[in-house]
Amino acid sequence: MRPSTTSRPRPLPDAAGAGPTAWRFEAIGTLWQIDTDAPLAPAVRQRVTERIAVYDRAWSRFREDSLVARIATAPGSYALPAEAGDLLEVYRALYAATDGAVSPLVGRSLEALGYDRAYSLRPGGPPLAAPRWEDAVAWDGATLTTVRPTLLDVGAAGKGQLVDLVLDELARAGVTAAIVDAGGDIRRRGSGRIRVGLEHPGDATRAIGVVGLGDEAICASAGNRRRWGAGLHHVLDATTGLPAARVLATWAIAPTALVADGLATALFFADGGTLDRRLGGALGEFAWVRVLAGGRLEASADLRDGSRGELFA
Amino acid sequence: MTRTAPIRSAAVALGALSLAGTLAGCATAVAGGSGPDTGGTAGTAETGGAAGTGASGSYRDGEYTADGSYQSPGGTETITVDLTLADGVVSAVTVTGEPSTPDAEHYQGQFEAGIDALVVGKSLDDIAVSKVAGSSLTSGGFDAAIDDIKTQAAA
Repeated sequence: MRPSTTSRPRPLPDAAGAGPTAWRFEAIGTLWQIDTDAPLAPAVRQRVTERIAVYDRAWSRFREDSLVARIATAPGSYALPAEAGDLLEVYRALYAATDGAVSPLVGRSLEALGYDRAYSLRPGGPPLAAPRWEDAVAWDGATLTTVRPTLLDVGAAGKGQLVDLVLDELARAGVTAAIVDAGGDIRRRGSGRIRVGLEHPGDATRAIGVVGLGDEAICASAGNRRRWGAGLHHVLDATTGLPAARVLATWAIAPTALVADGLATALFFADGGTLDRRLGGALGEFAWVRVLAGGRLEASADLRDGSRGELFA
Repeated sequence: MTRTAPIRSAAVALGALSLAGTLAGCATAVAGGSGPDTGGTAGTAETGGAAGTGASGSYRDGEYTADGSYQSPGGTETITVDLTLADGVVSAVTVTGEPSTPDAEHYQGQFEAGIDALVVGKSLDDIAVSKVAGSSLTSGGFDAAIDDIKTQAAA
């Protein structure tokens, strides 16, 4: 049985803070809002819609006709889209920095817990660790070679990358100031800063802090919403196939949404200071916050000292 | 950096079922149990004393008790969740465990403490923000599937 995916979009929690014009739509399983100074021309909207569709056709684990679905059917060499190189670079850095907990090879692990194409949301068996990267695939940017059928899941960073690509599409159309928000993963291009609330992991009407967002991205990850049973959510430790249990919610601020999204996932497995040290600058500088299962709040120094935001704890 | 406060979160308001499930699941995973489906609250959920009449959603007001168990390396651990629903919202919850090993004691203490120590935050109505970074905007498909499961559980 497949649940309906055509439900009505719900209003955003902060409709009052939208830009002069806001374009909202639903795509890749989440709500999007693009704020611009002037309404986007139909042709520009069409390009944005098409860019998202092309990305989805390549990378979605939830489509039967995607490239990822084709890769999963048989081992072999596959030509990947141009954005694969950037995606690979982020995944490789995070895989190393988290001792393999963040991996693009968690597709089968997610399916084992019920987070599958049909949204069955029922575990089909015991947790399944992802294969080790070096055992399963060779990925050199544009080409992926698998030695066995491999189900990719780029959920840790793919949505962020798509936010970047949409912003690039807008820039090509001459739109240089915009905020692209894909269900709470946000990248902004423009001068000055806006105030962004950090959604409380247990209560969407509250915030645990506010940060200033300049010409950069903020991405969040939490196990609280896409949760379908006892301890089951979509942020998995690839080395065990089990959902991360010690961290409730994370945020990362970085120059691109690709990096911020990936870091937000990695923060489930290591604190930001540890990640920063282990990354050795590979992904640039970033700010971070996380809420641990005990309610404890951890954050980077620039957020703790109030210089780029305020935490309510 | 944390403060103690009454229970008042939207996640909790999802109802007794999802809250207890979440807690038991936490314990399972934190304690390194044999699988996320070994915990749960399939034990002795029952309605205690004052079952209210003010039904909200599919969950009746009242006091509920559920036992959950999970497998840890030290054997089977159990916890008991006592929970009060008023107007469809959890107004009180206590979790008690009888840990049989120091490890279990440590982890159970951790998540028991987490229940009422979770950072409170501020209402979005009280802070001027342009955007919210979070995870509440999930897909219709996912939400529909969750609703389906809740319906089955309430039946």
